[in-house]
Amino acid sequence: MNFLIALMVIVPILCALFLNLLHKKDRTIKVVTVLLALTLPALPLLANYGLHYFGGYVPLVENPTLANNLPPLITDTALNTFHPAITYSFQSAQQLFVFIFGLVALLAIFVSVFETRRPSGVYAYMMFMGVAAVTAVILTDDIFNLYVFFEIAALATVGIVLVSNVKGNYETALKYMIIGSIVAPLLLLGIALLLGVTGNVNITDIIYSIKNGLVDPQNPVILMACALIVFGWLYGSGLPPFHTIKSAIYSKALPSGAALMQAFSVFIFVAMGIIILRIFSYLPFSQWVILGVSLMAMILGITMAILQTDLKRMIGFLAVGELGYIGIGLGLSTAYGITAGLFQAVNEAMITAILFLGFGVVLYQTGISDTRKLGGMMVKTPLVAFLVLLGGFAMAGVPLLNAFQSKLMLIQGSIKAGLPELGVIMILLSIVTFMTFMKAFHAVYLRPMPDELVIKHEKIPKATIIAMLVLLGVCLIFGLFPQVATSYLQPLATSLAGGIL
Amino acid sequence: MNLYDLIVKKIKDIQGVGDESPVTNISTSSMLTAEITLISSILVALIMLRLVNKVLMIVAVLVVLFTVLTAMPLMPKFKKEQNDSLASMMFYIVIALAIVITLFYWGNLNV
Repeated sequence: MNFLIALMVIVPILCALFLNLLHKKDRTIKVVTVLLALTLPALPLLANYGLHYFGGYVPLVENPTLANNLPPLITDTALNTFHPAITYSFQSAQQLFVFIFGLVALLAIFVSVFETRRPSGVYAYMMFMGVAAVTAVILTDDIFNLYVFFEIAALATVGIVLVSNVKGNYETALKYMIIGSIVAPLLLLGIALLLGVTGNVNITDIIYSIKNGLVDPQNPVILMACALIVFGWLYGSGLPPFHTIKSAIYSKALPSGAALMQAFSVFIFVAMGIIILRIFSYLPFSQWVILGVSLMAMILGITMAILQTDLKRMIGFLAVGELGYIGIGLGLSTAYGITAGLFQAVNEAMITAILFLGFGVVLYQTGISDTRKLGGMMVKTPLVAFLVLLGGFAMAGVPLLNAFQSKLMLIQGSIKAGLPELGVIMILLSIVTFMTFMKAFHAVYLRPMPDELVIKHEKIPKATIIAMLVLLGVCLIFGLFPQVATSYLQPLATSLAGGIL
Repeated sequence: MNLYDLIVKKIKDIQGVGDESPVTNISTSSMLTAEITLISSILVALIMLRLVNKVLMIVAVLVVLFTVLTAMPLMPKFKKEQNDSLASMMFYIVIALAIVITLFYWGNLNV
């Protein structure tokens, strides 16, 4: 059922448009939103692996009827194999990515509907549009299509922040838009340069052109295109120098929105990272730039996280730091390293969502996210505290949980690749991550409750507990049986590494 | 003035007059942890220069170590630079763009 590949993008767009029409119908919005969100993780489970050609325009080599009527000038050349349609590729790795992303999106939407007293169709619209855009970025094999959905994801991110009723949200959203209005055209310029040189926007065809000598791989225009696309990648995923605005964006959204937006960043990071590796891995600097930027993200993200006093900002910086681990895996450029990096991406999307949702309960109950004004919440919400603690353990890489497996693989991968220094840094930063988390946990849950702290809502929405339990359940499964996830990722990693184990 | 006092003073400088909150043990130990993490990570990362040239690695480690020791504490300065001001964000974005383009464009053609 290859048409389901397209539906993974079309369904959330339709959901978004439909929900936007439902004004002042709170109960209807709640029910419809949850029902529609259930399709997000379900579709990738039902779809078959393969390619989907929009408009049905298959390559000539797959359409002999049409090819027979064309001159050899076309049929005997590379044009015969080129992809005229916007093509979506759905293989095992994409299946896992879209499933996990859909699961995080479902749970974030589920929580958003029940945490707010008046569910907003506009908020749900933004979330669904973002989900559609990032799913398209994961699936697309067309670099211009990627740009279009990259922009939609950025706009949806701004929209989620604007709709969130958090102090300072407008200013931060405006800054994000201003920065985006500078970076996105540069990304588009990079894509245009690539199109100008190769005459193609299909990624597979671009790679074919470069590898088979149809274009000069050292053409300065291609090098410039690579630099601009890498720059767009930094912006889309929140790597330095965009880590400050990205963490600010997370902190100015509702917890459900922040949980979803960090998943946007993770999967845009992975999708664009894969494309950069596919097209530009022949350039000696591409590996080192990925490693360097990832190292900077880890160091700056985690050292900045420990200095924060705002819970959401702290998790935001930690999320940026954790992106660095994924990048290290991709930058190692070995099959094992890339598998570890992709596995870490899947894990991080879930773990950061748990922390945003868990600490979001504190925000829901007190309206405060400043750790200096919080305390004693363990008495009020012992179950949530326990779940948050498990989430923190997972992020730090404590055994039995998923990030332990992926971080262990990353360290082993760095040693195998002849870069044990990276392993040492990853261990060091995992320890600091744990310390950062425990500092926040102590401030919120363990120290005595300040006299002036007022609990506004005693009752915790059950949706949040359910969401955290589901995510922790998957974290535990991946921690105990990592091969459940890695078996989906290995084929892609092997092809990206070009046979280097 | 020892390192601890220096860090406390720097934190007070950064907080400025608008922030009335006291400098606590937690904020100071966080700053110290960040400082040590930053320095040790950079030094360990520099060891990777051995793949280019071992002498270069030794020189780089010594130079950075000396610079870091003389410029300590670094983290307050880093925190000050990584603020939410649009102007400073734009500054670092332009710097990053220049570095990325230089690396790919000049680096691949000339190295």
